[in-house]
Amino acid sequence: MYFDPNENLIYPLYALSNWVLTTGGLMFVVLFVSLANLLVTRGKSGVGVFFAEIRGMISDVFSISPRRIWALTRLTFMEAYRRKALAVFVVFAVMFMFAGWFMGDTQEITPDQVKVYVSFVLTSISWLTLPVVLILCCFGIPEDIRLRSIHTIVTKPARRIEIVLGRMIGVSMIGVLVLLVMGTVGYIWIVRQTPERSQKFLVCRVPQYGGIKFINRDGDEGTGVNVGDIWAFRNYIEGATKARAVWQFRNVDESVLDADGNLQLENSFSAFRSYKGDMTRSLFYDIKFYNPENGVSYTTDPQPVNEFRSKLDKIPRKLTVDDVQYDLIKDLVTKNKFLHVEIACIDREQYIGMARPDLFIRMPNRPFWVGYWKAVLGIGLIVVLVSMIGVAASTIVKGPIATVLTFVLYVLSGKNSHQFMDALMSGDFKGGGVLESIYRLVTHMNPTTDLPETPAFYVVKGFDLILTSFLWLCKQVIPRLQSFNMTEFVANGFDVPFNVSILPSLLVTTAFIIPCVMLGYFALRVRELESK
Amino acid sequence: MNKLTSQQRKLMYLIGIIVLLIPIIQLSLPADGKKNPGGWLSQLRTKYDLGESDLGDVDASGAAINLVLLGMRGVAVNLLWIEMDQQKDMKRWAEMQATTESIVRLQPHYEKVWDINGWNLAYNTSAEWDAVPDRYYWVKQGEKLLKRGVARNKRSTELYYRAGKVLQHKIGYADESVDYRKYFLSDPDPAFNGGPDPEINPDGKDNFLAAKDWFLESCERETTRPQHILDRSLFRATPARCQFDYAAGLQKDGRFGEETRAAWELARQDWTEKYGREIFHAVIGPDESDIRMEMTEDDVKQIAKTPDDELRVRRAVDQYQKMVNYAYWRMRAFAEAEPDTAEAHRNFFEAKQAFKAQEFEKARASAFSGMEAFDKLFKRPEYKNLVDEELLTEECMLGWKIWDDIHQIAQEKVPEDFPLKWLVEMKITNDSIMKQVNKQFKRLFLDSR
Repeated sequence: MYFDPNENLIYPLYALSNWVLTTGGLMFVVLFVSLANLLVTRGKSGVGVFFAEIRGMISDVFSISPRRIWALTRLTFMEAYRRKALAVFVVFAVMFMFAGWFMGDTQEITPDQVKVYVSFVLTSISWLTLPVVLILCCFGIPEDIRLRSIHTIVTKPARRIEIVLGRMIGVSMIGVLVLLVMGTVGYIWIVRQTPERSQKFLVCRVPQYGGIKFINRDGDEGTGVNVGDIWAFRNYIEGATKARAVWQFRNVDESVLDADGNLQLENSFSAFRSYKGDMTRSLFYDIKFYNPENGVSYTTDPQPVNEFRSKLDKIPRKLTVDDVQYDLIKDLVTKNKFLHVEIACIDREQYIGMARPDLFIRMPNRPFWVGYWKAVLGIGLIVVLVSMIGVAASTIVKGPIATVLTFVLYVLSGKNSHQFMDALMSGDFKGGGVLESIYRLVTHMNPTTDLPETPAFYVVKGFDLILTSFLWLCKQVIPRLQSFNMTEFVANGFDVPFNVSILPSLLVTTAFIIPCVMLGYFALRVRELESK
Repeated sequence: MNKLTSQQRKLMYLIGIIVLLIPIIQLSLPADGKKNPGGWLSQLRTKYDLGESDLGDVDASGAAINLVLLGMRGVAVNLLWIEMDQQKDMKRWAEMQATTESIVRLQPHYEKVWDINGWNLAYNTSAEWDAVPDRYYWVKQGEKLLKRGVARNKRSTELYYRAGKVLQHKIGYADESVDYRKYFLSDPDPAFNGGPDPEINPDGKDNFLAAKDWFLESCERETTRPQHILDRSLFRATPARCQFDYAAGLQKDGRFGEETRAAWELARQDWTEKYGREIFHAVIGPDESDIRMEMTEDDVKQIAKTPDDELRVRRAVDQYQKMVNYAYWRMRAFAEAEPDTAEAHRNFFEAKQAFKAQEFEKARASAFSGMEAFDKLFKRPEYKNLVDEELLTEECMLGWKIWDDIHQIAQEKVPEDFPLKWLVEMKITNDSIMKQVNKQFKRLFLDSR
């Protein structure tokens, strides 16, 4: 794994409070923007209108009719069909007909090749589905307003909130339908593309991760060595010294053993040689299990590092140390069900690198389709989220603008852009805000050089601070889609964990429902439907 | 416009279309053999050999993707390069290779793209892996990519050179070259049943000979399409240098029979009779003259019109010879083609093997025979300059060190006089040579215990 799967870990207990916080924050933003809009457009009377609309909305919520919503959903469906949205299947078919041309030779298929297949299928499914959904959700209501067909609806007993909900559900359902078809075809394509003898690579491993800490060469707690990699994901331990990587696994009992009673420990350690030495011989590590409560320990024979591939070490339950037999679970696991595992590098002046997910207890595999469909679910949740944001945006602005707005929000919702915005707001980002960056670009000033301490630059920094504060406000509206991308788990042969990926994604998606519906309702109530 | 009727407007549109069609047809009219050179674009394409099929094999899928991207190819390629760089930093090799694949499909005729990506796989990626067979796999991937680049750009001089360079330099000279050279003939991948990977070595040749074929092709293209990698004199020396590498490689592998002698003889012919007879336009300061590496006094006089000219030509030949170390390789080729030299190498090789196996008496005898043979060789006037060649002197010094060490092991006094004594006295103070010799000796010493 090249990322820490626990980055997005949410404990179920905190899930509800997280959801309330996100929804509440978004609702506040929506209400604040609506009130500001009414104050600007209608002056003092805007306050009255605002509260009247809130009352109206609450009343509408209690009079929602599922029948009317379903009718509007069907209408959205019919519209999409007439607009030939399903022509996306033609593009999909063409892509999959020729995809094999671009992707390696199936004669020498490896787990890496399978990774490419899975990534391709899931990426192309999302790239094809999202534009369709984006256009459908952003152009539906504006088109109704332009053609004045919305009058036919609003003059019926259908309420504004039902129109918004109907559109959202309709577009989401189209997206999900497209996704289901493409997901099924994609699954068949992956299975067919992988030869019979390589089908074993299509698995969903279920890992149980532990916490990691490093011991440095003197035996003190440390951080491991950086061997000069640009990507400092892994830390290295030096061979034939006291340097160790220590994992602590929770909840270890008999249930983690396989059918033969072995503990399956899988690793993907990295090797770094400070001198080449005998290149035909791998670097070696050993695994030590110890129980700090009773002082019992067991060290395995040296094992070769299998770099950039996984290596499975099966540890038998019955272990013999100095002619005394120990039980792995009874003697080496603490009373609180903790298992301590120490990794050491055997070779002098050589290094072995590892990060937290590089060692885990491997539980029984799940079928590939389980992880695959979970990843499709992740895409489905993005589709639903985009539909809601798109429909809400289309109630305020015209179709093309709503499309661009939703697309920009989607682009900005990735991990990198959130990290960039965080760095910009916290001041960690070198080079400053908008004005400061412009000044530095024009004058070719290095980002690490301090600005002159003059009044003009205080003004520049002050202006940037205002803009950055505005950015903070905008950031609250931009969803975090980091956990939605479940492709990486499946492509790397892992199951998609519920509390790391599915739960956070579900929370983000549902957190946007009420604010988006509210926004759509307010916009449709307040705006002039006659204006095209 | 509003005053025009619908029919008039349609007529106007038709006229507009026809007017616009005329320059378009003129621009893009296809060529029809020799009779009709086609439109302006077609003529330019012919003039600069820019037709897809002129450049190399046609890749229908890549061309289709380029067309589908319309004008966004540059943007897509930039994004892919950024992605590839990130994947490289994160050591996501499979994804990096897939991205490389997309890039070369989008930029199939940009030679540098093949060059850089081929290098990236063969040199950078292979070095990241720990196991030698894994490293070799990535070297092969780099070579395969370059080979495909050549197929797509058949007129490219530089890509032929790069494909040869990986075989010569990476497989032949890496720290793991002993294994790589073996793998080139017998691939570690069980799919090849102990034979070579036919994609990079279809004829089952030695890597240096396979590289020589690539270099010969690149030299052939260089006459019509100049390269910008090396000075021309160095560039055109590459096939002959590969032959030298091959012959030296055979010796390194412990093969000293007729095969090796013949390889040196062929190297001599390549160097003196082919490369040595090639004409180079030498530009030294303000002076320009056409010279050859192999020039007799008569040749010089034939070219030079005046005594000044003669001096200029001699100076140019001298400088060019120094640039490619011509005289040394010439002398080495002659010396190595001698049966006695092959025997001397064999003696030193056997001495090393016997020392490793702790057969000290055999090792001492072999080392002494080698020392005698090289002593004789170095003392011949035509080969006296060979003592300046580091690799050869290192070999002799190592042979002497084995011989000397065995005396110490046996607690015997080293004779006052022995063959190559003068060389030992001359080189024992040379730190660079002695460092290498001691390193090699230490390795032998450790292997023997």
